Amino acid sequence: MSSKAEDRLALHGSGAVYWHKLASEVRRDRWLYVLLAPGVIYFLVFKYLPMFGIVIAFENYVPFTGVLGSEWVGTKWFNSFFGFPAWTTYLANTLILSVMNLVFYFPAPIILALMLNEMRLQRYKRLLQTMLYVPHFISIVIVVSITFVMFGPSGIVYKATESVLGYPIKYMGSPDTFRWMIIGQTIWKETGWGTIIFLAALTNVDTQLYEAAMVDGAGRIRRLWHITLPAIRSTIVLMLILRMGSMLDTGYDHLILMANAMNRKASQTLDVFVYQQGIQSGQFSYASAIGLMKSIVSVTLVVSSNKIAHLLGEQGLY
Amino acid sequence: MKKLVSLILAAMMLLSMAGIAAAEEPFEITVMVPEFTLDVDYVEENNPVLQAIEEATGVKLKMLFMSNEGYGDNVNTTLTENNPPMVMAVTDARDPSIINSARAGAFWDLTDFIADKDNYPYLAAGAPAVYQNIAIDGRIYGIFRSRAFPRAGIYYRLDIAKEVGFDREVKTIDDLTELAEKLAGYSNDTYALNMCSYYAGTINVITVAMGAPNNWGIDENGNIYPAHKSPAYLEGLNWLRHLYEIGGIDPNFATIPTSEWDNIERTGKAFMRFDCLDNTHRQQEWFENNAGVTEQVFQSVGPIAKADGSITVWPQNNGFAGEILINKKGVSEEDLPKVVKFLDWCNGPEGQTILNAGLEGLTYWVNEDGYRYVPEDKIDEAGMNSKMYVHDMNQLGMGVPGNLENPPASVNRGVTALRERYNQLNIELAPYAVADPCFPLISQTAVDYGAQLSPILTDAAAQYISGIISEDELRGEWERWGETGGDKMTAEYNEAYHASIAQ
Repeated sequence: MSSKAEDRLALHGSGAVYWHKLASEVRRDRWLYVLLAPGVIYFLVFKYLPMFGIVIAFENYVPFTGVLGSEWVGTKWFNSFFGFPAWTTYLANTLILSVMNLVFYFPAPIILALMLNEMRLQRYKRLLQTMLYVPHFISIVIVVSITFVMFGPSGIVYKATESVLGYPIKYMGSPDTFRWMIIGQTIWKETGWGTIIFLAALTNVDTQLYEAAMVDGAGRIRRLWHITLPAIRSTIVLMLILRMGSMLDTGYDHLILMANAMNRKASQTLDVFVYQQGIQSGQFSYASAIGLMKSIVSVTLVVSSNKIAHLLGEQGLY
Repeated sequence: MKKLVSLILAAMMLLSMAGIAAAEEPFEITVMVPEFTLDVDYVEENNPVLQAIEEATGVKLKMLFMSNEGYGDNVNTTLTENNPPMVMAVTDARDPSIINSARAGAFWDLTDFIADKDNYPYLAAGAPAVYQNIAIDGRIYGIFRSRAFPRAGIYYRLDIAKEVGFDREVKTIDDLTELAEKLAGYSNDTYALNMCSYYAGTINVITVAMGAPNNWGIDENGNIYPAHKSPAYLEGLNWLRHLYEIGGIDPNFATIPTSEWDNIERTGKAFMRFDCLDNTHRQQEWFENNAGVTEQVFQSVGPIAKADGSITVWPQNNGFAGEILINKKGVSEEDLPKVVKFLDWCNGPEGQTILNAGLEGLTYWVNEDGYRYVPEDKIDEAGMNSKMYVHDMNQLGMGVPGNLENPPASVNRGVTALRERYNQLNIELAPYAVADPCFPLISQTAVDYGAQLSPILTDAAAQYISGIISEDELRGEWERWGETGGDKMTAEYNEAYHASIAQ
C-alpha cells in the first residue's frame, strides 16, 4: 500500500486531526498559497465563471430578456441541428480536414525537428531555426493573400503548371484542391513553430548514449531509430493526445478566407457553422449549443485517448 | 446629532425638488447611429446644430456615434445593456437577432403612431408598402430609412460601344445580347460584363429582365415559388454562360472582392455592369474628375423588352436601408409620444434640412434661386463645420415622406444630363419593377438556416455560368437546396403569404 493511501486512511479516521493538520500546513506554507492565489483567481474568474453562460445553449436567448429571462427550450437547438439535413456534410468536412491534418501536418514538425537535430553547425542551425519561426507570426490573412497571388489564375504557380501539364489546375477554385491548399498553408505556417517542443525534448537526450552507440558501430539511421525517437516518444504521444482534443476544431477564419463560390462545399465545417449562426445570423443560442457539443466530444476524445496511451504503457497527459 | 442629519437631508431634498420645478429641463433623447466620418471628431459642447434642434423641438439631442465597421455586432451588444440609447439605427432590419428581440418586446410598437395623421403627419405620409416590408408579424416596430424603389439596372461604356459598332439605344434583350457580344470582342485583355463575388445581384438583374421573379414569385394558383423554378431564370443563367464562353466575363469573377468592382471599370477592364442605376453618374463623375473626360462616357439602359414584347425591369429593392427603432428599456410609456414626435420632426422639412445639410451660414449658403450652395472661399470652412457639428447625423434622417429639404440642394455641374436621366428613369421604370413578395414575410427556416441555404443556389449559379457543372448538375443542386431546407422554406413562406392575404 502506498503511503498516500495510508495518509488518507488515517485522515478519514479523525476529522478534527485532518483539519488541524491542514490549518497548520496552510500556515506554514502561507506564502506559497499567496503565490498560488492569482492563478486560482484567474481561472475562477475568466475560465469557470463564464461557463455559466453555457445555459444559453438550452435557452432561446434574446439579449433584451437576458440570460435569466430568456425562454428555456431544453435541447431544441441540438434537435434542430440533427434535423438539419446538411449536418452530416458539416461533420464529414470537419473530420476529413482533421484526419488530413493529423496524417500530413502532425508528423511535419517531428521530421523537421529531427533534421535540425542532425545539423552540425550550431550557428547555422540557430539562424535556420529563427527563420523557420517567422511564418508563425504572419497573419493568416496575409498567408491567404500570398497564396492568391501565387496560386490564383494569374499567379506564377498556376501559369507554370498550366504550361507544363497543358491544362490548368484550379488551386483556388475547386473543392478537391481546397483541402490540400488548407493543409499546405498550415504546414507552411506552423511546422517551424511546432518544432520547438520537440527540439526541447531532444536536448534532454543523454549524449553518452550517442557516443556509446557510435563506438558500437551504429550509423546515423540506427542512432535516430534507437536513441532519438524513443527519447521523444512520450512528447509525441502527449502532442497526439492534445491533438485529439481539437479533432473537431478546424478554425473558421482560415476556411472563410479561402472559400469562394467554386470550392465552398469543402469549406463547410462545424466551426464555420458556428460562425454563420452566431455572428452572421445573431443566433447566439444555436451557436453556443453547437460549440458545447463540440467541446463535449473533444473532452471525450482527450480522456479516451489518454486511457489508450496508458494501456499501451505510455505516460500520457496526466 | 441624528436629528440634525435628518433635518439637513430633508432640507436638501426640498431644495432639489424646488429646483426641478423651477427650471423645466429640456427632454433629452439619446440616439445611436453608425459613424462614417472618422477623420474629424464630433463636437458636442456649444454645437450650433444641437442648439438649433433644441430651439425647434425642445429636445436635447445626444448623439452616440458607433463606427460602421461591425455596427451590427454593436447593436446586438447594445440590446443586452440595461440602459440602452432611447433611439437606435439598425442597418439590417431583417437580422434574426432584431426579429427575435422585436418578438420578445425589446422595441416599442409604433403601428398606431404611424396611423395617426393628425399628430405625426410626416411619419403617416410614408409609403404603406415600405412599412409592410419592415413589419414583423404584421406590427411595425421601426421607422424605415427611405431609398428609391427601382434603383437596380444596367449601364455601359458609351464610347466603347460606339467603337465596337453599337450606336443605338438598348431597347430589347436582343439589343443587349448584341451589345454584350460586341463588347466581348473589343480586346483580349478586357471583358464585356463587370462581375465580382457579389454576382448574385448581377444574376438577379438579368434573370428578372428575362421574366423570372425577384428571388420569389407567385404562380397562377397564388402560391409562392423560388425564382429558379421559373424557366426564365435558367434563360438568364444561359445568357451569362454564353457570354462567359465567348470570353465576355472574367473567369475569376467569383473570387474578385466587391471593393474591386468600381476599379475594374475605372481601369477600363470591363465595360458593362448590372447593378445600381445611380452608379452610372457616379462613375461618370469619377471619369470627369480623374481621367479628364469631358463628354458622356457612360449610359444607363431604360426599359428593355423581351422577345414577346413584354417588359419586366428591374428587381425592385425594398424601398429602405435599415430602420430607426425605439428601445423599450430606454423610454417609458408616457415619454414615448415625445420621442415619436421628435422622429416625426426629423422627417419634416426643417428636420431633414438640419440633419442632412446643417445650418445656413454654418455649412451652407442660399443663392438667389433659393438653392443651397457653398461659396468657393468657404468650402474648407463649411466642410469642417459639417464634419464637426453635423457629423453623421444624416444617419438619423429617414426621409419617410420623400425629400422635403428646404432650401433644396443645388444641381451638380457636369453630369447633370445623367442625373436627370436617372431621375427620369426612376419614374419611367417604376411600373415595370418586380418586387420580392417574400420580403415582408418571415420563414423560420430562413431565419435559422439562411446563412447555409442561400450559398447553395448562388454557388451553383456561378459554377454553371463558368461551365464547371452541366444543366443536370445545376438542377441537382437546386434539388439539394430543396432537400436541405429550401422546400420547407417555400412551404413556410406560402403559409405566411396566405395568412397575410387572408387578413
